[in-house]
Amino acid sequence: MATPVPVLRLPKGPDPNSRGFDPNSPRYIALCRTTVATTEAAGGDEEELQQEQHARSVLRERFLRCLLAMNNKKVRFNMHENVTVEATFGSSDIDVLNFQVSDLHTPIGVQKEALIRSQDVISFTFDA
Amino acid sequence: MAMRQTPLTCSGHTRPVVDLAFSGITPFGYFLISACKDGKPMLRQGDTGDWIGTFLGHKGAVWGATLNMDATKAATAAADFTAKVWDSVSGDEVLSLAHKHIVKSVNFTQDSNHLLTAGNDKLLRIFDLSNTDAAPQEIAGHGAAIKKALWCNDDKQILSAADDKTIRLWDRTSMEEVKTLTFNTSVSSMEYMADGEILVITYGKTIAFYNALSLELIKTAEAPAPINSASLHPEKDFFVAGGEDFKLYKFDYGTQEELESYKGHFGPVHCVRFSPDGELYASGSEDGTLRLWQTAVGKTYGLWKCVLPEDLGADTSEQMYGSTPEIKA
Repeated sequence: MATPVPVLRLPKGPDPNSRGFDPNSPRYIALCRTTVATTEAAGGDEEELQQEQHARSVLRERFLRCLLAMNNKKVRFNMHENVTVEATFGSSDIDVLNFQVSDLHTPIGVQKEALIRSQDVISFTFDA
Repeated sequence: MAMRQTPLTCSGHTRPVVDLAFSGITPFGYFLISACKDGKPMLRQGDTGDWIGTFLGHKGAVWGATLNMDATKAATAAADFTAKVWDSVSGDEVLSLAHKHIVKSVNFTQDSNHLLTAGNDKLLRIFDLSNTDAAPQEIAGHGAAIKKALWCNDDKQILSAADDKTIRLWDRTSMEEVKTLTFNTSVSSMEYMADGEILVITYGKTIAFYNALSLELIKTAEAPAPINSASLHPEKDFFVAGGEDFKLYKFDYGTQEELESYKGHFGPVHCVRFSPDGELYASGSEDGTLRLWQTAVGKTYGLWKCVLPEDLGADTSEQMYGSTPEIKA
């Protein structure tokens, strides 16, 4: 009777919490042109690296605080095709793929709740 | 000692898998993209089937998917009337190309600079990816929805298969029809192999091989059941086919004899493709799974581990699974 070929493990399935494309994978690090390269790649010294990391964390913290501050404020989105819409900002999802807003004013009426695709947005402003 | 094929099941899709494509061999291995009616095409590592990421953005069933040679770009064709181009390293959508009807097929040129699309509006379109504002070149002629369109002859010509029961060869520069093949029934799939200029076509229970330049018939083979897709091994010694009876069939290319058949899928097989190194082939089915099958059963490759008679019974530090993973649907 033929024995089945043994396997080391089963193929890994999708992660339910993210869309994948691990930024820490060797391929991503080698090929992704959109990420800002660290000085580590150029063989920078420890201090420069530390400063850079500090700058990155400051910018990231600012961005996150900005998102927090915008909660429940009136925001104006500038989007592609010269579209400008106003809404009350809710929050962003973890990958910053979508923004959840309420009372979105569109040319065809006011949408009570909506998701705006972040790749469609060029910029947005609000009064703190 | 005879060994039984252990297919590796890749789960994750929630609806039928209708198309799949491999990339070429890159410094990071080779990759596999699957098109699914759930609208979420997935990228996987080609030799293990490990999920890498899901391309999110389509709003309808994805009918066709392809990768460029070095797997840096992906393209998908969907029922939401768009074809999309993606950065397949970051998973980001790079371009969305609007069409007038369901898009069924997408194919990159070898330099990844142009994308060929085709679908239910019966037109072939060529998009210049470095000049996306420009309107695409359109080629009309088919009388019904186009199922598949592929670049051939060093990207100088185009092959298209449609529901009007024809396969047509077009010249890219003149945009004119060069040759037509007419069949009695609709062609279910078409695969082009640049090395050797061979075209693999399936219709009914037949798998037919044509010369891609002259469209002359080389040979045909008959399967026991209606076939939806077939693929020729890179060394041209085998070909595999799958269809309505849920099984995968392996044939000898030289003699057209059926060598083996494998059960495993729980639904009709929609697509089957050999990997670029020929060591495995992947099948996509109505049951929502992809399965990877070894060409040489028992060989150590990817997740398959060859066990020599001396090793049996010895203490191994790795975990070994001996039973077929049929529990995963």
